[in-house]
Amino acid sequence: MTLAMKTKLLAGAALSAMAVAGPLVAQEEVTITVWSIDGANQVGPSDTFSAEFDEMDNGINVEYRILQFDEIVNETLRAYATGNAPDIVSLDNPDFALFSSRGAFLDITEMAEESDVINAEAYFEGPLNSVSWDGKLYGVGKYTDTIGVFYNKDMFEEAGIENPPQTWAEFEEYARMLAKPDEGVYGATLSARGNEEGTFQFLPVIQMSGGGYDSVNTEGAREWLSMVKGMIDDGVMSQDVLSLGQWDSTGTFNSGNAAMAISGPWEIDRMVEDADFEWGVTLLPTFEEGAERSSALGGFNLGIMSTTEHPEEAFEVLEYFVSQDHRLFPEFGYLPTRGDVELPQSGIEEKDAALAVFQEQLQYAQPRGPHPEWQKISKAIYDAEQAALTGQMTPDEALSQAQSTIDGILN
Amino acid sequence: MRRILSSVTDGRGFDILLVSITMIFLLALSGMPLVYNVVMSFQEVDMFNLNTFSRPYAGLENYREVVSQPEFGLILKNTAFFVFGSIAGQFVLGFALAMFFMMRFPFAATIRGVFLVSWVMPGLVVGALWGWILAGDFGVLNAILKGIGVIDSTMFWKSDPRLSIWAVTIANIWLGLAFNMMLLSVGLAAIPRDLYEAAELDGANGWHRFTTMTLPMMRSTIGAVLALGLIYTLQQFDLFPAITEGGPANSSNVAQYWAWQYSFLLFDFAKGATVSVMMLGFVLIASIVYVWSTRHEVRG
Repeated sequence: MTLAMKTKLLAGAALSAMAVAGPLVAQEEVTITVWSIDGANQVGPSDTFSAEFDEMDNGINVEYRILQFDEIVNETLRAYATGNAPDIVSLDNPDFALFSSRGAFLDITEMAEESDVINAEAYFEGPLNSVSWDGKLYGVGKYTDTIGVFYNKDMFEEAGIENPPQTWAEFEEYARMLAKPDEGVYGATLSARGNEEGTFQFLPVIQMSGGGYDSVNTEGAREWLSMVKGMIDDGVMSQDVLSLGQWDSTGTFNSGNAAMAISGPWEIDRMVEDADFEWGVTLLPTFEEGAERSSALGGFNLGIMSTTEHPEEAFEVLEYFVSQDHRLFPEFGYLPTRGDVELPQSGIEEKDAALAVFQEQLQYAQPRGPHPEWQKISKAIYDAEQAALTGQMTPDEALSQAQSTIDGILN
Repeated sequence: MRRILSSVTDGRGFDILLVSITMIFLLALSGMPLVYNVVMSFQEVDMFNLNTFSRPYAGLENYREVVSQPEFGLILKNTAFFVFGSIAGQFVLGFALAMFFMMRFPFAATIRGVFLVSWVMPGLVVGALWGWILAGDFGVLNAILKGIGVIDSTMFWKSDPRLSIWAVTIANIWLGLAFNMMLLSVGLAAIPRDLYEAAELDGANGWHRFTTMTLPMMRSTIGAVLALGLIYTLQQFDLFPAITEGGPANSSNVAQYWAWQYSFLLFDFAKGATVSVMMLGFVLIASIVYVWSTRHEVRG
């Protein structure tokens, strides 16, 4: 063998070694795509944690995509149908079952059992139900929220009312006392908008009067609709509650144009900034003193799509997100979906007091569904609410029409 | 060989080439989606068979269900109101403006051009603008109406079921007004001036001149404006999510928004397709009526 031949051989060997090593190195670098709405309006947990995980030198890259609230379900559906689904997606909790019930989310029951980070038992019942289907675990709750009644303490004091309302009868009585139509001040505001927000606020009323999404025509729900319609007719509540979302509706409370507002903890930070009056929060009223409580369960979930090519790496990313749950409240103002995370005091008196109320309220929060056709059920519910509040139908007609629509979906 | 070549560059072959290019283009970009839509309305569609053609056949089930929805009648009525209200408003006001700008006053042409701003703006922007104008408690329109003493209680344009369909119709009239005015101005400009002068000499008054000369001579322009108005109005979508979201309680919901709600809110793609096929049928009938009504005209 000549020297030249040897060199050639060596070079060839080196080349082939590189050729073999090349793909190996590439294989170790796995990219996990994450879709969520965090970062669309303000910095949120999913975008922050994705960036942090991406920075880590562990062979897993995270590609993060921001979607708008209105389009994330559609985009995910389309991507799933065409085989381009992300590895991890974060959905509003009532939308989750649309995917998990059809196996579009990965069953992580066993992975979670072996995990040191994810412990299914630590989660609140509501959020846990919304990621479960048929006894299997398809995801984890990202954060949660619920609704209560914000009230303007200054106005209450001026009117000589000592305590916030505990029953719906008191809610109406106080609202009527506090309304000042001449000054453009309404007694109360809420959101009865014709979309998920309407159902979000109205379903708890059905639930606390003994019903549920499968039986909506309860006596309490009828009473409540008549009560709210009366308040709208008398100018105690703005007719615009039919078209305003919760954020805009609570905006009128912050500017002092409504004495009470039904809304959730996502309002707290803005209220601390905007409201130039003393305010407080109380639990959602009940029909009788000591009667059954309920409230809405909001918030987003995280799930791994079943089409992922890297389930283990995706699960690692999920574990990292969950391991950062203690930062949800101090950094982003979100409530964790599990009971084993300590929430530090913020030092802002009104905020801490509000938080305590919402944490208590969370114990009564009930999920919407879960049902794969939740969107249709929800439409029946908010359509009924709107039909009754506009006077197109009596509460009984509206709710029994909704009931027959829902029966058609459930059976 | 040469003969074939020459016929392609000039003559029958060239005609066939041009026709086939346009037909392929039409079939691929308009025909296919249209047929796909019609096919979908006879199938059961969900997220898991969205990307295949072979889906369970549903027959007329989708149509039966859409028609039996409690909101069907209301949406039909609203669509008719929105379409005819919008077209009537756009046309009458557009015609009046076009006639007005035919009077030769300083800057007439420039000011007429400025009117096009409403036509140039994207529908979503117009929707957002009118959303603020028509807002209940803090709306501009209510402030003006209260200021000049027309009303003394707040009009909830977006939340009152008696007013909500008016809210979107008014916004759409404003949006399409300039387009109508422009097309009608072109038609008016094409009528020879000396005809009017002769008529004036013969003692015809303004009303006579308008009904016996302007209207008949504008016939084809008017037909085109109305037909386009119908198409644009049935296409109008952006205003609905921005102003009323079809509410409250479907009181301002129209067929095109309903179709969208079915497909992209309830993820019932088959029903969405069904509603749009029904609209297609309606537009077809309207087109036939339009072609029939203008059949006497000689077209070049």
